[in-house]
Amino acid sequence: MLALGEVRTALLQNSVSVPPDVAQQILQLRPGEQVRCSERPVNYAVSPDVPTGVKCRLATRTGKRTWGTGTAVTHASVTGCRVLQGSTYTELALGGAERPAPWSHYLSRSGAVDVTGRASWDDIRDGFLDEEPRDALNLGAISERTMDGVQCRPELDREPPFRARRTALRWTLEDLSEDVPWAHFTIASPTLRTLRLAVKADTDKVLQLCEDLALHDWLLTTLLDLIERGQRKAGRPAEMVESLRPAVEHLLHLWLPGAHVDESLLSLWEGFERRPGFSRQWDVSVNRIRDQLAVTMAGLLSAASAGNVRRH
Amino acid sequence: MSLPRTEFSETAAERRTMHVPRSHVSIELGHLYIEEFAKGPEYLRAQFERVRPWADVARHVMPGVVPKLKPRVSMCFMVDDYFNQFGSPSDVLPQLITMANEAGLSIDYIARESGCAEADGVPLAELVQGRLVADPPPGANGTRPPVEEIGWLCNGQRSPTWEPTEALREVTPWQAPVENGARNHSIFVDIELWDRGRNDRGPRRWSCSFLAAVWQLLRLGLLRDRGKPVVTPQRWFTPSESGGWQVDDFPERWDELPPVVQVKPADPFCAYKTMSILGPDFLGIESAVRTILERVDIDPEVRSQVENRNQEGGQEKREDISLPAEVVERISYVFLTGNPAG
Repeated sequence: MLALGEVRTALLQNSVSVPPDVAQQILQLRPGEQVRCSERPVNYAVSPDVPTGVKCRLATRTGKRTWGTGTAVTHASVTGCRVLQGSTYTELALGGAERPAPWSHYLSRSGAVDVTGRASWDDIRDGFLDEEPRDALNLGAISERTMDGVQCRPELDREPPFRARRTALRWTLEDLSEDVPWAHFTIASPTLRTLRLAVKADTDKVLQLCEDLALHDWLLTTLLDLIERGQRKAGRPAEMVESLRPAVEHLLHLWLPGAHVDESLLSLWEGFERRPGFSRQWDVSVNRIRDQLAVTMAGLLSAASAGNVRRH
Repeated sequence: MSLPRTEFSETAAERRTMHVPRSHVSIELGHLYIEEFAKGPEYLRAQFERVRPWADVARHVMPGVVPKLKPRVSMCFMVDDYFNQFGSPSDVLPQLITMANEAGLSIDYIARESGCAEADGVPLAELVQGRLVADPPPGANGTRPPVEEIGWLCNGQRSPTWEPTEALREVTPWQAPVENGARNHSIFVDIELWDRGRNDRGPRRWSCSFLAAVWQLLRLGLLRDRGKPVVTPQRWFTPSESGGWQVDDFPERWDELPPVVQVKPADPFCAYKTMSILGPDFLGIESAVRTILERVDIDPEVRSQVENRNQEGGQEKREDISLPAEVVERISYVFLTGNPAG
């Protein structure tokens, strides 16, 4: 078997954290369906699932022609009333009959794509992870479009408190042939990460893991960006404080690895905590920001009081 | 020492989808429009007499249950109060029930067509429209949003539109539309789902085809509003001491009548399969209904409730009925043509 997915993560385009009921409203992607919300350990709301029909080439490493027909399923979520994610996935199955089935057949199996052609699962997996989609199946574009729909909602003021990159996590799930599940996370570019997984688990649990990893990777990436921006203002303390402030106000309280991950998959998160050590790098960066702010504030205060002494 | 097991959950985080009681088959005995009502009670009875033998056959053949089980069958009837309000429930409905009885049929449930647009405050037609997933043309990889003509749905690719411009020197030849997945040749269908009245500026007016698609989904019990059933038939009869029953008085206005009323003791309104016995005018409409239903994304929770019908609420129950995997295959018709009554 092979499942493919892509999670995109971005800052919600609003000057302040939205109230939880607004987070629910903006995720109402379909009428008459529940937006599911939870408050613990962090405010989290997820939209109903929406299928999109696809009938296209699938990318392969070898270039072998492969065709897929079916649906990919998307949902959007907001975490901490601040961070927006769009997550799309589909499970591949071997196409049966020569003739395409009526559309209702594909629609009755939401989130499945029938594949015809000679490429192996490994070839399709490598093509999905490594190649530019071009005209082939592009799950990231569906995630992106869903997020744009949410960002354009009238409830949002579209004035985010700072600029942040959008990141993408492209993932695959394959059969487990060994005893122990494994996962391979790669930073492919400044915005693209890939994750190859082999684990015996339901797709919705795997989705939660991927979305959680994508969220925390985005938080860390964004924090590091803010630190770097602060560094560039080294000689200008007030500006440096302004650069670092958004991190403190909007991001620091969102670091909760594994918050929405099933117990059975937490061991994979723990593996990434050992190497490269997401939380270790986060803690070091947070301390760095706090130290930087403390030193800068101390400097500003002493300059201000020196100015007062001179006046008197 | 082993660790205690704890569980934490939040109600708002869980998806809850309620079950609805179901018959094996729902049989529609007809669909009343103003023109037919105007032809008088004799016409109505003649129509019911034509319908009756087919209803009897359907009642025996359709359920498909094992012989030991008693099949559950309910009979329903739809009255148009959306396109034309005619008479009042207190005039029309007693006649309808009486003429059916005289022809040897008994109607269990009567529904108002406008209930398919909105019922008990739930905008049903909008709900179904929000669940439409068009079948994509070849090459659709997710990069572009699905193409939609406002208010229309088709089963393939339309002929490309042509805009005359000053610079146009040649007339572009007509290109045929194409049915997706056509076997050798196309039967291309383009269905108007709604409009905004003749001057294109009024409130949205759903088409008969779309409301008929909603009607099928209602009868199959496949619609939910945030997990809750959308239309619960209201009891409109009173059991009498002798063991029979009396139909209650109907109101003077259609909007005072609930969307679906139950006029006698009967099996549930919703069913696993439907059979509709209709006149030939409905051929085009029901073909459109099938095209629409092939493109409605049914809630997977509701779909799995039907698939796991032998287990409900953790209890075993015998629902030995074989069902096709696809919803459109659970809908059957008899079209009665050659009407001698005129």
